[in-house]
Amino acid sequence: MNSPLMIGFLALTMLTCGSAFYMLWTKNVLHAALAMFMTMLGLAGFYVLAFADVMAVSHLMIYVGGVLILILFGIMMTSQRSVEAGQSNELWTEQKGRFWAISIGLTVFLGLSWLMGQQHFYAFTDLDQHSKLGQVGLSFMLEYSFPFELTGIFLLIALVGATYIAKNHE
Amino acid sequence: MNEIPLIFFLWVGAFLFATGLSIILIKRNVIFVLMGIELMLNAANLNLIAFSRGDELNQGLMLGLFVLVIGVCEMSIALAIILQVYRRFRKIDIDQFQSRN
Repeated sequence: MNSPLMIGFLALTMLTCGSAFYMLWTKNVLHAALAMFMTMLGLAGFYVLAFADVMAVSHLMIYVGGVLILILFGIMMTSQRSVEAGQSNELWTEQKGRFWAISIGLTVFLGLSWLMGQQHFYAFTDLDQHSKLGQVGLSFMLEYSFPFELTGIFLLIALVGATYIAKNHE
Repeated sequence: MNEIPLIFFLWVGAFLFATGLSIILIKRNVIFVLMGIELMLNAANLNLIAFSRGDELNQGLMLGLFVLVIGVCEMSIALAIILQVYRRFRKIDIDQFQSRN
């Protein structure tokens, strides 16, 4: 239990769960975006600990590099300015039904934990701890080649569509 | 070399999922709700990766990579729609949309 792997896991758990809870706690959208950045960093660390280095690197590139910038642009372009002069931008968001939402979330968490505690997962004895980059590349070219191409077309269509929707139509 | 048990990954995934669900239910800002959806998507993805840890065929890993791309598409289109809504109504709260019957 005292292996460096486990200590790293606990540190990553504190980082990820703490910043996710801060996202729930805060009312400031910008702070929530920064907390989401920390959550994504922690998730990439989890992927490394699960021996999925390809996933960790692509997750970092896509989420921290792409999605976070998109969200920051969205916050910037939709910031609702306050009425009174002299006050800074209004980034606070309203909250409603705090009690019910948190109790529903707690119920889901406890229910999922109970359900997973009931199962007996097969324990892998020898895990492949080498890089999976070559295997993933081969799989993309061999048995997953059709979904790979389909995903490329889908991404192209989605990006062109998003650009068209975001255009000023007047 | 002792391994991290699978159930620890699943606990973290369950926590992230529940937090994302609470964020969706509490917050009234559409961008906030979108961030909650991303959190839930990533929680599911973490479970896929954790289960694919001992699989020689890497099936969960491949599915996780595809899920990543779909999540990005969803995010970009949703932000474009939010931008258009903001242009029209000057407000992006969820409560502003009410049906007129």
